Amino acid sequence: LPGAPAGDFEKSVIFPKWTNQIPFLIPIGLALVGGAVAAGVTVYCTPKNTRVGYQPVQPVPFSHAIHAGQLGVDCRYCHSTVEKSWFSNIPAASTCMNCHSQVLKDDPRLALVRESAATGKPIPWVQVHIVPDYVYFNHSVHVARGFSCVECHGRVDQMDEVRHAKSLSMSFCLDCHRDPAAHIRPPDKVTDLGWDWSTNLTVAAQMQYTNGKKFVHDWKVESLQSCSACHR
Amino acid sequence: MNSNQTNSTPANGRRYWRSLDELADTPEFKDWLHREFPQGASDELDGSNRRHFLKIMAASFAFAGVATLGGGCRRPEEKLEPFGQQPANYIYGKPDYYATAMPTRTGAVPLIVKSYEGRPIKIEGNVLYPGSNGGTDRYSQASILDLYDVDRAKQFTHEGKTVSRDEALKFLDDLSAKFSANQGEGLSFLAESSTSPSRARLQKIIADKFPKSKWFTYDAIDSGIHQRAATQAFGQSVKPIFHFDKAKVILSLDCDFLGGEDDAHNHIARFAKGRKVENGGMSRLYAVESLFTLTGASADHRLRLDSNSIGDIATAIVTLATDSSAAAPANPNIKWISECAKDLAANHGKVLVVAGQRQPLAVHLIAHEINYALGAIGETITLVPVSETNGPELSQLNQSLKSDASDTFVILGGNPASNLNLRWTPEQKPKNVIRLGYYEDETAEMSDWNFPATHYLESWGDAATSDGTVVPIQPLIQPLFGGLTELEFIARLAGELQTNPHEIVRTTFAGSEENWKKFLFNGFNENSAPQFVSGKIDYQTVNNAIITGVNVRGASSTNNLEVIFYRDAKMDDGRYANNGWMQELPDPITKLTWDNAVLASRKTARELGVQNGDLVEITLNGRSVTGPIWTQPGMADYSLGLALGYGREKAGRVGTGVGFNAYKIFSGKYIETGATIKKTGATHVLATTQSHWSMEGRPAVREANLGEYEKHKDFAKAMQGEEPPVVKSLYPNPLDEAKKTALHQWGMAIDLTSCVGCGTCVLACQSENNIPIVGKDQVLRGREMHWMNIHRYYTSDPKKKNNPSIFDFNADQNKSDTDQQFAEWIDDVQAVNQPMLCQHCEAAPCENVCPVAATVHDQEGLNVMAYNRCIGTRYCSNNCPYKVRRFNYLDFNKRPLADLKGPMYPTAIFGSKTDGKLDILRWWKNPNSGMRDEEEWDLIKMAKNPDVTVRMRGVMEKCTYCTQRIEQAKIVQKVKAGASDDVRLTEAAGNIPKTACQQACPAQAIVFGDVSDPNSTVSKLKDLERNYSVLGNLLTKPRTTYLARIRNPNPLMPDYREWPYSFEEYEQHNGNPFENEPAAKGNS
Repeated sequence: LPGAPAGDFEKSVIFPKWTNQIPFLIPIGLALVGGAVAAGVTVYCTPKNTRVGYQPVQPVPFSHAIHAGQLGVDCRYCHSTVEKSWFSNIPAASTCMNCHSQVLKDDPRLALVRESAATGKPIPWVQVHIVPDYVYFNHSVHVARGFSCVECHGRVDQMDEVRHAKSLSMSFCLDCHRDPAAHIRPPDKVTDLGWDWSTNLTVAAQMQYTNGKKFVHDWKVESLQSCSACHR
Repeated sequence: MNSNQTNSTPANGRRYWRSLDELADTPEFKDWLHREFPQGASDELDGSNRRHFLKIMAASFAFAGVATLGGGCRRPEEKLEPFGQQPANYIYGKPDYYATAMPTRTGAVPLIVKSYEGRPIKIEGNVLYPGSNGGTDRYSQASILDLYDVDRAKQFTHEGKTVSRDEALKFLDDLSAKFSANQGEGLSFLAESSTSPSRARLQKIIADKFPKSKWFTYDAIDSGIHQRAATQAFGQSVKPIFHFDKAKVILSLDCDFLGGEDDAHNHIARFAKGRKVENGGMSRLYAVESLFTLTGASADHRLRLDSNSIGDIATAIVTLATDSSAAAPANPNIKWISECAKDLAANHGKVLVVAGQRQPLAVHLIAHEINYALGAIGETITLVPVSETNGPELSQLNQSLKSDASDTFVILGGNPASNLNLRWTPEQKPKNVIRLGYYEDETAEMSDWNFPATHYLESWGDAATSDGTVVPIQPLIQPLFGGLTELEFIARLAGELQTNPHEIVRTTFAGSEENWKKFLFNGFNENSAPQFVSGKIDYQTVNNAIITGVNVRGASSTNNLEVIFYRDAKMDDGRYANNGWMQELPDPITKLTWDNAVLASRKTARELGVQNGDLVEITLNGRSVTGPIWTQPGMADYSLGLALGYGREKAGRVGTGVGFNAYKIFSGKYIETGATIKKTGATHVLATTQSHWSMEGRPAVREANLGEYEKHKDFAKAMQGEEPPVVKSLYPNPLDEAKKTALHQWGMAIDLTSCVGCGTCVLACQSENNIPIVGKDQVLRGREMHWMNIHRYYTSDPKKKNNPSIFDFNADQNKSDTDQQFAEWIDDVQAVNQPMLCQHCEAAPCENVCPVAATVHDQEGLNVMAYNRCIGTRYCSNNCPYKVRRFNYLDFNKRPLADLKGPMYPTAIFGSKTDGKLDILRWWKNPNSGMRDEEEWDLIKMAKNPDVTVRMRGVMEKCTYCTQRIEQAKIVQKVKAGASDDVRLTEAAGNIPKTACQQACPAQAIVFGDVSDPNSTVSKLKDLERNYSVLGNLLTKPRTTYLARIRNPNPLMPDYREWPYSFEEYEQHNGNPFENEPAAKGNS
């Protein structure tokens, strides 16, 4: 500017010197904010966070820990269609009454079950595990081919109230479909949730590796990763 | 099934679906819903107050935002409600299959119906039934949608007011008591014909108990003529069964046995069986007809002739075929006739002459005379004894109703007000008109009492198929609206103690419990069909009838037009008018949807000065009706074809007012002369799915005559055209690698020699894959959603065509169909049909252009669509050379049924109008107005297949080779395999799944299977020399291939040509495909 002291350019009040760095700081700032948003969404808005831990209160205080854990009732006693259908059923009240007409037959906690068995009015259990409608998951084929309940449902035999233990997201499915050998086990052990190849973890991991590969090869396990496997 | 279906009460606005939506109706949910938005947000908006609207919207968004952060996007809590008592043998998620049957006028179609959680969802043919190949017909495929029709009769009504079921039943009991006292004086019945043994038994009880009552039987479209003719010709009560598979030479006298006749699916099955080229020998079909029908399209020689002159042809043929020394009668087509007669005479014992349902009795008798003289009886025609039906003639009905004694008139089913033109003045009206009907239709309007009828899938009943085998009708579901079956209704009226239809059928069956169970399990009663009888023709009767019956009128002209009333391929007699699948199915020949038209030949239309879409008034015997003209290639001159069953006044949301009502000028005769036409000046928009008629020499369909095929087995491959040089691909096709480890490779072969183009596969696909109907306006925009359609092309003598170059706009190939309708080449055409569906190309052009990889290959060669990934760019559809991809432009599943038939829906927000209102204004006033209401949706969603995703707006879709069936079959096998490697599906083990189209096809033209197994049927078919790929020169490597069509013409016929027209057209465009071969073909 004509007439202005030369030094004023170096000491501008309006644009101090640090403002020269703004063009460099903006992208860094945006990257940081964007990264934080992306990280936040990944952590908080994906099934790993939104689903895992879901534990609704059920109308009847049924404890899997007692029935499946302590008493050792096989999963398939109640969830009887798991080997035959895509859907693993919730047992009818009449199934509960097979035992509870003798055991704890007047317990107030079982009032709803007795009523249901007598009148046919269904017990409104709250669904915990669910996949979207466009996913055609089939229980029977997984169970028949040596994939345990525990892979998706966790240690239900240790839960009093059922809790959503795994994310059941598409990447969760694909993790296993891409490496079935790490999860496969003899089909007669699928409902034995605590079962492992050995009590020694290192040995168990080794055996899983060798036997898993063998099973996948011998049984021609496809573990499909194409869209048509699950979406129709 | 629970047989106790009589105790439910009639439902008023009852809901059928137990799900989230039911939850959504609970007070808690509504309360929650209202708290989500501020007061006033759900009030109706006044379009004028824009400020108010914006305020509310702003507030709503703000609240929605808060609600989202506060946990509003939590998944809704869903309930799982198990049984109180576990029903035995019930597994949730596993479909059940029951054997049942769909009754038709003269028979029944044995069926296996698939049911999910108590909802019947898919109809399939009963393969156990002797002689069945599992195929069905259009009507049975579509009938499942009728079960879930929103406009069904739902209530018992008396004089327009709803009454309780008990009241209505008490009324029946009182009537019964009244008529027991006076022996049925003044009681008359009007029922449709039926083959049910139980109904026959009850009818007899009625006749015994009420001897003075009258029982009239009627069919709007009467197929009984075959039985009446055979009975008269052979002097005993018999009905003919036609064995097209055993015949070498077939002559159809105006008989559309592959299309409009009853029992067509059996005819198609047998006809196709007699024309398997590789099985040695192929039958030859001659057709003389006025309309262009499916039979004419399959014929090797077709003579187009007005229906009135067909008696003349028949007389000439009987003379020439039975007496070789007879002098040829004078006839313009004498060469055609005499060569045809010679061919018939030369194939003694292997001929079959059939006369059409619309032809007079005399023509049928002549046909039987030829059959008898040429040894067809007992060979290609078998005679089945039938019990004589003796009721009063239908012509006495009006007189009987108008007599003073007439008191109570019972109408069982049917729709006589519409299709019998039944009317009465108030003073002539019977005192009580009682109607058992499926719809609240025209007849219901004029009845005093209306009883809702059950669908056959809700009923106990029985029927007899065309050969007399007794089949059960089992209910798959409790009556949705608590209706009555016909059997229960008659039993109550007869005052029977046993009114439960299950008990009635059980009593009629009369066998042991063991046999009854077998009867229900198999779906038919073995050996219940009567034995064939031998027949000796009664020449005296036949000749008398012929002399009096064949009355050849002079040639018609535009002042004396012939009108042919025909059974529509979709509406039947009008009973499927409210069936959206049927309305949208393109007519097998005209490819028209949502309309019928006045079919006329080019010459007739020219002389009348009318063109496609012109509304004309046809006057016949003083009555007239107005409909749009459609120029039909191959029609006889001066004949008009009018499809019955359209223009219903009270059909329901879908069918009311679609098309025009030809019954208005119909008086029971299917061929009439003396009609005149007047142009009204108005036009009507017709929606067709195929607007260009010709292939223009492109080898989409390849065909040859049998003789030339023997010489050039490889003709289909020779027509492939030039393939581009194969260079090494820059990117290897991932499928080539994946193939090596996959268990199967799926493929399909479609035999064009077998396919007659009936369209059953299209409906089967629609039912299996939840394909929505889009409505007439959307069809006009080319947005129909059928994954599979049947392309019908007309081919003609290329010399008749004007084909100079693609740059000449006067050339035929560059003309729109509106101009083509005046081209001379359409007069005498050959037609070819080609089912077109996703070709599952190994090198699929659609996949390369998808920006989101929503369409990719799986390892077994399926071109799969991941709907959830699709963002709707439509690039894939644009890049598909076969045009088989379908896009959901609107949320078609939610379009209100009443909107489907029109008016035209505007695309533009500005300018276009709907019902006189700007579209955006309509939306502003009621944003949900374009949506189906809850009542419609509730019922319609019950018809959906739970194994297939229901697609939303904005998603691309296409044929999946029924991937859900493939996956299910594989899962079943893998579950069975367990810890073993027996996971491959093989034809030997019988566990290869069938696609829906394959299963429904009565001709078995579609074969699906594993092409990696060299011994599979599909692999063997693909190895045949006539196997070819459509557009194979694009190197798309389609998995769906076609077997070229083989025709079998007679070289001595005047219209014989060495090659079919399509080949000549090809040659004209592309040159002789054999010119590089050592043995050149020498075609002139």
